[in-house]
Amino acid sequence: MLKALVMRELTTLMRRRRIMALQCGLVALFAILVAIRWPTDSRMALTGSRSQQVFQLFGYGLLATLLLILPVFPATSIVREKKQGTLALLLNTPLGPWRIFLGKLTAVLALSGIILVMSLPAASACYAMGGLSLYGDLWKVYQLLMLAALQYAVLGLLVSTYSNSIDSAVRLAYGLVLGLSVMTLGPHYFFQGTKGYLADIGELLYGITPLGAMMSLTGAGDVGSKGLITKTEVLGRFTVTSLIVSVIASACSISRLNHTIFDQARPQGAISDDQTQSVRFFRRLFFLVDPQRRSSNISSLVNPIMVKEFRCRRFGRLHWLLRLVAVCAVLSLGLTYATTAGTFDWGVETIGGIMVVMQVALLALITPSLSAGLLSSERESRGWQLLQTTPMSIARIVWGKLLSVILPLMLILCATLPGYLVMVYIEPGMELQVKRVVICLAAMAVFAMLLSAAVGSLFKRTAAATAAAYGVLLSICALPLLIWLGRDAPFGHKTVEAALSVNPIAAALSVIRMPGFQDYSLIPANWWFLGIGSIISLLVLLTQTYRISRPQ
Amino acid sequence: MTTDQPRKTATDIPVVVMEHLTKQYGSFTALNDLTLTLNAGQILGLIGPNGAGKTTAIKILVGLIRPTSGTAKIDGVDCVSDSGRIKRLVGYMPDTFGSYDNMRVREYLDFFGAAFGIAPRIRAKRIGEVMETTGTEYMKDRFVESLSHGMQQRVGLARTLLHDPKVLILDEPVNGLDPQARIEMRDLLIQLAKRGKTLLVTSHILPELTRICDRVAIMTHGKLRAFGTVDEIGRQVSQQRTIESHLVSADQVSTAANIIRQAIEPGADVVEAPAEAIVRFRTARPESELGEVLARLIQGGIRVTQFREVQTDLEEAFMSFARPQQAIVSTPVSAGGPIHA
Repeated sequence: MLKALVMRELTTLMRRRRIMALQCGLVALFAILVAIRWPTDSRMALTGSRSQQVFQLFGYGLLATLLLILPVFPATSIVREKKQGTLALLLNTPLGPWRIFLGKLTAVLALSGIILVMSLPAASACYAMGGLSLYGDLWKVYQLLMLAALQYAVLGLLVSTYSNSIDSAVRLAYGLVLGLSVMTLGPHYFFQGTKGYLADIGELLYGITPLGAMMSLTGAGDVGSKGLITKTEVLGRFTVTSLIVSVIASACSISRLNHTIFDQARPQGAISDDQTQSVRFFRRLFFLVDPQRRSSNISSLVNPIMVKEFRCRRFGRLHWLLRLVAVCAVLSLGLTYATTAGTFDWGVETIGGIMVVMQVALLALITPSLSAGLLSSERESRGWQLLQTTPMSIARIVWGKLLSVILPLMLILCATLPGYLVMVYIEPGMELQVKRVVICLAAMAVFAMLLSAAVGSLFKRTAAATAAAYGVLLSICALPLLIWLGRDAPFGHKTVEAALSVNPIAAALSVIRMPGFQDYSLIPANWWFLGIGSIISLLVLLTQTYRISRPQ
Repeated sequence: MTTDQPRKTATDIPVVVMEHLTKQYGSFTALNDLTLTLNAGQILGLIGPNGAGKTTAIKILVGLIRPTSGTAKIDGVDCVSDSGRIKRLVGYMPDTFGSYDNMRVREYLDFFGAAFGIAPRIRAKRIGEVMETTGTEYMKDRFVESLSHGMQQRVGLARTLLHDPKVLILDEPVNGLDPQARIEMRDLLIQLAKRGKTLLVTSHILPELTRICDRVAIMTHGKLRAFGTVDEIGRQVSQQRTIESHLVSADQVSTAANIIRQAIEPGADVVEAPAEAIVRFRTARPESELGEVLARLIQGGIRVTQFREVQTDLEEAFMSFARPQQAIVSTPVSAGGPIHA
């Protein structure tokens, strides 16, 4: 029984053209990487530095592939079956929840296994180049990759059991990836070497992320260590935490796979206006803008599409945005205050770096989820056909949709402005830098919005559009950083600078003089890239909108 | 409502005019030389099997598809070259609802009202009116995605009526509805026609169309096969008529059947129903010769209470046209209705 389920899941996955393209692309990439560093000289360095340089990139590349691509499949797996009605059929068979879970997990792990197996020739080539230990290097990296695949596959399935729509599952899965693998590095970076509970929390979180373990395994553990030498066995800690997380998430997922997953009443549409005055008062106090109030008619002065987009998104409702903005503002001001008060000896550059990273992470997480489905959600819900029968022009529709993304992004950008202002007040010499950082962030917001919208417009389904937009945006943000990790060896200063010039995060960090980025001059090359990229994305979006809206 | 009696609001002013409409996708012809006219205040039922070209014809009318050749006009406005004006003249309800997440029914209608450029004050009044007409007032605060299919169809109709269009084009409005919701939707459509709206409705539920439509068009393989009232189509379909003879006594059924067999063409289908005291037969004989059959029955001592033609229903007509061999050999039929084939 289990075999049939695994085969069905795996066949469905492997039949997709994108998976085939991914496999071919990965093999080609690894082959090129090895070929570039393959010794052509008759003499060889016994230290094996060349193979270690390749191996470093190889490890990060594989990990990035797993983190960016793998979670989408489990995250959409159960919720898709729930929507299609096949989950009810599965639950009605003698398979039982744990077999269904195991079948889906095995299929995703098999896919990640295939990806890892396809990387073995490149890994063997690295080993053949010398300087790598079979157990100490190769096996440990593969052990880490397998654990990461297990952890994120299980988390993806957990997300899928709790989600009500496919695209929200995709968003949540990428949020988890970003939070658990990248954001967890932050506290360790800032509090390492100090004493107290913040340092302990930072250390604890460092054990959760596979990136920390990979850095330690590939000899990049000193990156961001500020000269401190750590004796912690990072891989061991990651092994333990990932297994614990996997077991807990599996138990939670299996416990969800029963009738309760369908046992939800249809929302009755409660309205605050019909409640008592005290209830209305408290709701207003709590929400500021009560999402359950009866909304007024759309004004003639605003774009109705924009209002519709805000009303359709649960997260787009004003009370959520206000909370997000408040959190951003409080955090940025808090960080700046901490430096001013001398609580942490970080320097203004580091504080600026934290704020930049925080904002970029927010933009990278929120923008694709807002703009990738602008067209695909309409096509999927068949709302596009209805819009076509209204007298609204294509330009007005597209502008309304873009406005619904621009406004939240502007709010997020403006939220940290007080922090930057305080920074300039402390260090007036940084005014130009801060201005440039704000331009970098604004340019990134526009670029991320248009890129996500353009990529998303190529798909008919929102989940695929969201996943593709996240994939492309995170690749632009993450891949140049992989090259940055290999700075000086195997990549020279010019190569790293060229690669970083497409990366908006690196550009902002270089402007703020964040340690590690201060040697690169990325402006105005980055602005040119973002500008041209934005224009191309806008053209793609408009062309695609025109294409789907003209009479057949 | 019977199809023989045109609705009082129906006029002779043509509102929807399709002339030689053809739509081709490569070598595949989705719509083949469709010509028909629909007058103001009429309800036209467009029926046909899947892939017959109904939705293609509808989409041409609402400006979502361009015809390969031919013209389509609504109220004198060309559907291809002046699609902007068509959008205000037509209310289109597709076969899928087109819902939006987290949106309440009132917000949904408000959005489409704003999309049609209706001023906020007028819009509020108009939303109230269409909600009252479609009976959706009680669900105004419900989320559209949480509504049942029947409720969604009503909200869809309310949305269609928002900008007060002259012509309503409804694609499968009763599809998937339970019997009660179907009756309610049927009554609603009749009510709209009474208010002077011209309706073009597609449906697979044929009894529904029989009850509400002034005209019916049957399409197969992209071609119009029949057009007219249900009765007219019934006559077109069947060269052989079904005649029922009701007798006083069930004992005479067998004798009556023998007399009929001798009176009509040899091998004709004669069915005896002693339980109902009826003899039913199919014949291609004209009206005058049928009188002869009745005379022979009376002469043979058969006591006849009724001798009448059974009307061919829409289902039978539809099946007759939907049969593949029929579809290939038959030619467009023009009978009774304003068809210019």
